[in-house]
Amino acid sequence: MARLYVDSDKYGDQSASAVVDAYHGTIKDLIRRRLDEIGGDWASFVFDKSYDLIGAREFADVEKTLLSTGHRFDWSAMISVRERPGIYKSATGVGEDLADFSFEHAEAITAPPDAEGREQRGIGDNVVRYASNLIGIARYIRSSDRVLDLLSKGVPPDTVAIIDDSGGTLTAPILERFKGVICAGGTVRSHLGILTREYGIPCVMNAKISGIREGDPVEIECTAAAKTAEAYQQGIEMTARVWRLKK
Amino acid sequence: MTTGALSYAQLLETNNLVQASADETYWLCVTRTVQESKLFPVPAYMMLSYMMAYFRYPSLLRKIESRMAAEEIGDRARAMGTKIQNPSMGWALPGFYLLGREWLINLGLLRPQDAVLDLIYVMDFWKRFQLSWHRNDGHITNKEFGHRAQFLPERQLQVFHADMFDCAAGDDLHEAAQGFMAAASQYGFLISCESRISLHNSGPYKLADDREMIIRDFMDLAESDFPWLDGVAKDMPFNNLTVTLAVKDCHFYLMDDWGSFESKPEFTADRLVGVGLYTSDTLSEGYVPVAMGSKAELGACFRSLADKVRDASNQLWRRIAGWSRDLMIDAGAITYFAIIKDLAHVAGVYDVSDWMMVDERAERFRPLFNDEYSRDVLTGLCIGTLPSHQASDYTMMQHSNKPQRLFSPVPYSILAGEDYTPTCGPVYPGKTHLDLKLDRYTTTRGVLTLAEYNKLAREVRPAVVDPKYRHLCETWVKYHAATPLADELYRLEQSQSRRLKGKGAGLSRADIEKLCRNDAGGSGR
Repeated sequence: MARLYVDSDKYGDQSASAVVDAYHGTIKDLIRRRLDEIGGDWASFVFDKSYDLIGAREFADVEKTLLSTGHRFDWSAMISVRERPGIYKSATGVGEDLADFSFEHAEAITAPPDAEGREQRGIGDNVVRYASNLIGIARYIRSSDRVLDLLSKGVPPDTVAIIDDSGGTLTAPILERFKGVICAGGTVRSHLGILTREYGIPCVMNAKISGIREGDPVEIECTAAAKTAEAYQQGIEMTARVWRLKK
Repeated sequence: MTTGALSYAQLLETNNLVQASADETYWLCVTRTVQESKLFPVPAYMMLSYMMAYFRYPSLLRKIESRMAAEEIGDRARAMGTKIQNPSMGWALPGFYLLGREWLINLGLLRPQDAVLDLIYVMDFWKRFQLSWHRNDGHITNKEFGHRAQFLPERQLQVFHADMFDCAAGDDLHEAAQGFMAAASQYGFLISCESRISLHNSGPYKLADDREMIIRDFMDLAESDFPWLDGVAKDMPFNNLTVTLAVKDCHFYLMDDWGSFESKPEFTADRLVGVGLYTSDTLSEGYVPVAMGSKAELGACFRSLADKVRDASNQLWRRIAGWSRDLMIDAGAITYFAIIKDLAHVAGVYDVSDWMMVDERAERFRPLFNDEYSRDVLTGLCIGTLPSHQASDYTMMQHSNKPQRLFSPVPYSILAGEDYTPTCGPVYPGKTHLDLKLDRYTTTRGVLTLAEYNKLAREVRPAVVDPKYRHLCETWVKYHAATPLADELYRLEQSQSRRLKGKGAGLSRADIEKLCRNDAGGSGR
């Protein structure tokens, strides 16, 4: 069988992702076969014959090969799992199961209720330091359907949005109306961090929380120091606490 | 196939530029942000965009240079806040092309010596543009300058400095400017499909011992190149807006090649003490003041623009919420790929089929781009964990100290007879799931058809590239400020300035500051 230029790599043989290795291995096998079919002439293959010999149909087969092993893909954009639910892991906390849903981070730091009845349910990276902590009502916002609903009916007062999207587009039309934000991803420099800073909305990013459900009263320690670039680069913990309050 | 003569010096320089881009790509990707969105399939569209860049940039850059040299576009770019600045030219032009190349190498579809003439040309174009654009600071990138972006000449900075209006936390202008920038930042993320490439910061420039100025550009806001803004952005009167910001007791110690900054202490709204507003594009004579007649006029303008931005954002969000995944991928990939499209506008050779379509050679990869593979391979490409990245165990990569190289150099063995291929060929046909672009382009000369826009672009020759002034650089000014020609040069820049009109070349920064303080005492600057 034809040998590819990269088959003779002295230093590299695999990536850090099993899915990437599976894909690339399948594609390289295909290239070797196609090269054999045309007599191994790389010069006529690379920017000419490969366009027809390795096209969309062949690439679709690569995905089918992995799916046939029972693998189901992680999803990141809601549209992906909505259009092709069969190839992705199931999505929770975005529909009728919202009432029973909560983020459950394995590294969430929790503590029993303090003297004021505040039960710590996690931590996050504070974006901007404010003069006082923020208290509001937790509401999970994880899909464009939920945003559309809130856009139509209005964002309830005192909403602290709990989001797992560190981008700035999902909640774009309603972000300005949040009292606070708890984001389960990103850093203080992510788009959502940048926007909450611009709008003056208290926010913790990279939040690791547990046990906070839709409608729970919550308090964010936005009086904590804002996490710095140096802290990220040097791996220094600088966190703000998130509490669940008594209803 | 081996054709033409390559020199050792050519390959040495190309590999140096490739390595410079590799080092900065790693740093930017690791330290700046996490690429994710619940709305847009971001990694999927980014991967597609890299393919588009790999297959089209060489031909499209050659087409641009058939009308105008990279270094002339670089000279012109200093006088406008359009999308040929740091994110696009400082990083994305080489970055997207090289990320696409590296992925193809890892797939086994490319060797490091394939399309070598394309690679040499793309890196050379980038070098000539960057050196020209950065000629006032003398660096090729912000990274080389220690993450600083000071490309503007004194005459432009004096106008920005002099014409700013003072503001303070709690006053009307401060509130209006902050409100506009927050709304426009959010709109920028949305029109750019979750990327930050419609926003750009540069500087800092020293205004006084306790104040620095940064320049913030908001780009592609109106009906112009992107089909998804047709209709929803029809009320946006300006396609590009530049806000000048004076910031007190805050040092911007980092301005990267993505146009984002770090400061000490952290830049918060209460440190904003001065603002100005301008628009510009390839048809304007530099930066044109917007509502800069009075403090009240500027505040009202910021509020009006914020309302328009919010309205356009809401309409656009509803449009996007109804899109299919393919539409989202097309819009995102085109936004990324076309990050350098303003080069074509400047040269007057912009064509919708060049920039708003997915090349069929790239399109065939789309079935690979489910969320998980896209995420994992993008991460691998950006932090160096794919096989092509791995180097000898003695190697310590900049920033990570790992035995890796983010972009493969061209092997010098092609000079000793190992075969290579010269080019990936011309632009192939493209397609898109998006609506056809309406023939409406918002410019500083009004709303034009594309034919009108290209025609005017080919006719325009701003003063910055007039042979009489083009090479009157900052070194020349230093030794000729007292000459009539220097006065003429400065008066050109001052022609639309509220405070400096006609004042010429003799003013120092302290003179400008004094002028501002005296006015502030008498007229409530």
